[in-house]
Amino acid sequence: MTTGIARDLLLLGLAWSATVVAQSDGDLALIPPDSQSPPKASRSGSGQNIHLENALTGVSLRNDLPVPAQPSYDWQERLLLDTRDTWEVGRITRLTFSDRLNLRDESDLSFPAEESIVNDLREAYAEWHLADQTYLAFGRINLKSGIALGYNPTDYFKSRTVSEPLSADPTVLREDRLGTVMLRLQHIGRRGSFTLAFAPRLQRASPIYPNTELPSFNPLLGRTNSDNRFLLKSSVDLTSGLSPELLIYHDTRGTQVGLNLSMTLGQSVVAYVEESVARRRDLIAQALDFGRATGALPTGAPDEPPPSPGASHKNELAVGAAYTTPGRITWNFEYHLNQAGFTSQDWNRWFTIGGAPAAPAALASELWYIRGYALDQQEQSTEQAAFVRADWTDAFGLNLELSGFVNVDLRDGSGQAQGEADYYLSDTWTLGVLAAGDFGSAKSDFGSLPAACSILLSLRRYF
Amino acid sequence: MTVTSRNRPLWAAFGWILLACAQARADTAAQIIARTDEVRNPQQPFHTTVTLVEYVSGRARDQDTLAVFAKTDPRTHQFRNLVQYVAPPRDAGKRVLLGGGALWFYDPASKASVRISPAQQLVGQAAIGDVLTVNLSADYSATLLGTESIADAARTQQKCWHLQLQAADDLATYSRVEYWVEQATYLPIKAQFFSDSGRLLKIAYYRGFSDVLGRTRPTQTIIIDALDKSLATVATSTDYGYQDIPDTWFQRDYLPHLETR
Repeated sequence: MTTGIARDLLLLGLAWSATVVAQSDGDLALIPPDSQSPPKASRSGSGQNIHLENALTGVSLRNDLPVPAQPSYDWQERLLLDTRDTWEVGRITRLTFSDRLNLRDESDLSFPAEESIVNDLREAYAEWHLADQTYLAFGRINLKSGIALGYNPTDYFKSRTVSEPLSADPTVLREDRLGTVMLRLQHIGRRGSFTLAFAPRLQRASPIYPNTELPSFNPLLGRTNSDNRFLLKSSVDLTSGLSPELLIYHDTRGTQVGLNLSMTLGQSVVAYVEESVARRRDLIAQALDFGRATGALPTGAPDEPPPSPGASHKNELAVGAAYTTPGRITWNFEYHLNQAGFTSQDWNRWFTIGGAPAAPAALASELWYIRGYALDQQEQSTEQAAFVRADWTDAFGLNLELSGFVNVDLRDGSGQAQGEADYYLSDTWTLGVLAAGDFGSAKSDFGSLPAACSILLSLRRYF
Repeated sequence: MTVTSRNRPLWAAFGWILLACAQARADTAAQIIARTDEVRNPQQPFHTTVTLVEYVSGRARDQDTLAVFAKTDPRTHQFRNLVQYVAPPRDAGKRVLLGGGALWFYDPASKASVRISPAQQLVGQAAIGDVLTVNLSADYSATLLGTESIADAARTQQKCWHLQLQAADDLATYSRVEYWVEQATYLPIKAQFFSDSGRLLKIAYYRGFSDVLGRTRPTQTIIIDALDKSLATVATSTDYGYQDIPDTWFQRDYLPHLETR
């Protein structure tokens, strides 16, 4: 009996050992056989990124809009030369240049024409390393602030900077935008940093250009430098992992105070909040004032829909979290608030006034102008929205990056959705497809837009 | 047997011995991890070039090259890292910072620094935390499970300590790690990485042991995806060198200023 038990235990032990060895050997079998020899480290210009891209877009337009809009293109073909580079000049000076040259043809433009070529000078500046971690920069600089993904209330230099984007993805909008001519002083210490920036007024504010009237070779300073603007921001390392950033921004419209705060929760989650508070008028009032000041709207244009009287403290907020799944998909969930945006009452008036049978065409133009202004300012047009974005690098184990987002107006449930797939054919060639669509009822924020859906095919060659 | 006044001192002594043994065992585990940290990473500020090759079903598919700058924080004894993508061209210039208890990703195209979690994917099967230089003793608490003889990447049997590491802070990339360390040299041989739910995520083998900055260290890590076992990434470190790295390099706002050539 005892011998039997001993034998059984021995067999059980051997079986267990065999399982362990088999599993261990199984792991070893997963090592790629030809991975023994060290790879040759490749090196490209780490400060340089030049690519040529061809992008063909098709758009499906809605026929029965509740408020008539100007006709838009239903196809567009673009060839883009995108250049970013930096040069070290001596020991203390660095030059930065970033530019995108567009050659375009579309259904609402004749080709070739002056509008067929548009050059976006995004950045051109020199930076001097003055002293120990103190930097002074001058020129056209893209000064970005904010930690949220879908909406950045503290990104004070974002307004009027986006030029003909290929994608509505907020992460792309941050790339394809114009810088602002400014003087920037920055000091980086061991426990924090501060940045002081002054952007001077160089030109009168230019009107919002329609797509068909974009200037060819124009730095568009009337968009980026039409006001004297100041920014002071500072971040301090308080405790491990907690480094809040405080911002104070001032222009002729007033002073705004902002805060960025983020923290890591566990191995897979980052939570963040971005907030800006200012005393200002609502979006409708700002749009009408701007339209009259730039001549886009007649001086006597009616206040439609009626803006709120006077200025008040208004809050802009983006709060959210990023979560990376074990399957390596990163999700961002965000809630956005813009107290200056359209209220339910504003939306109802917008549709009622614009949809009235006797409404003159000029009134419809004015109503669309207000929404165009919000887009131009990169300001959320509605009060509350939810934003979800997913990004999957190396999807399905292929050289494929999948990303997509949904932005939903919480008032009416309408939204904008976009999905994008980039397939890396090689280190230098990328094939992309992007599909976007707006959903919602006809009398909703996104359901009332002229474009129902679009598809874009692109081919990119990196140098 | 019940505890009586007569045998109470005996029980107390026995308990004390048990406690002391447990303490000694814990100390040993911590010491092993500290020694293997010293073997894996030079303790002076240094730079290296890491080349990541992705494999699918055993065939090389993609390659990325990163420049890594690392320096220990005297307060936490943890490494701070600055990583710059060098190749391929579409990613060149992107940067990752581990410093001040946080991870940041900087894209020169958007000029934006975004906070990320250790689990976020860098390239291929490698999470950011897989590529960064870390002192495991600072991020994990270790327990010695015993000694085992296991096969290394070259299928040679190695007598190892088998340790279990439990995440001690939020910057640890994984919730739990099973770790095998060769007893004579303190060289790491193998690791298994687990999620919060106890799911096996990755298996790593260490190899390419060679003299680097004064001692024998592993220069190659094979990272096998345990969820999809056809996928593997091999990370090879070359071009090691000591470098005086200022502390300010590890501030988020320094990311745009990193010299790129």
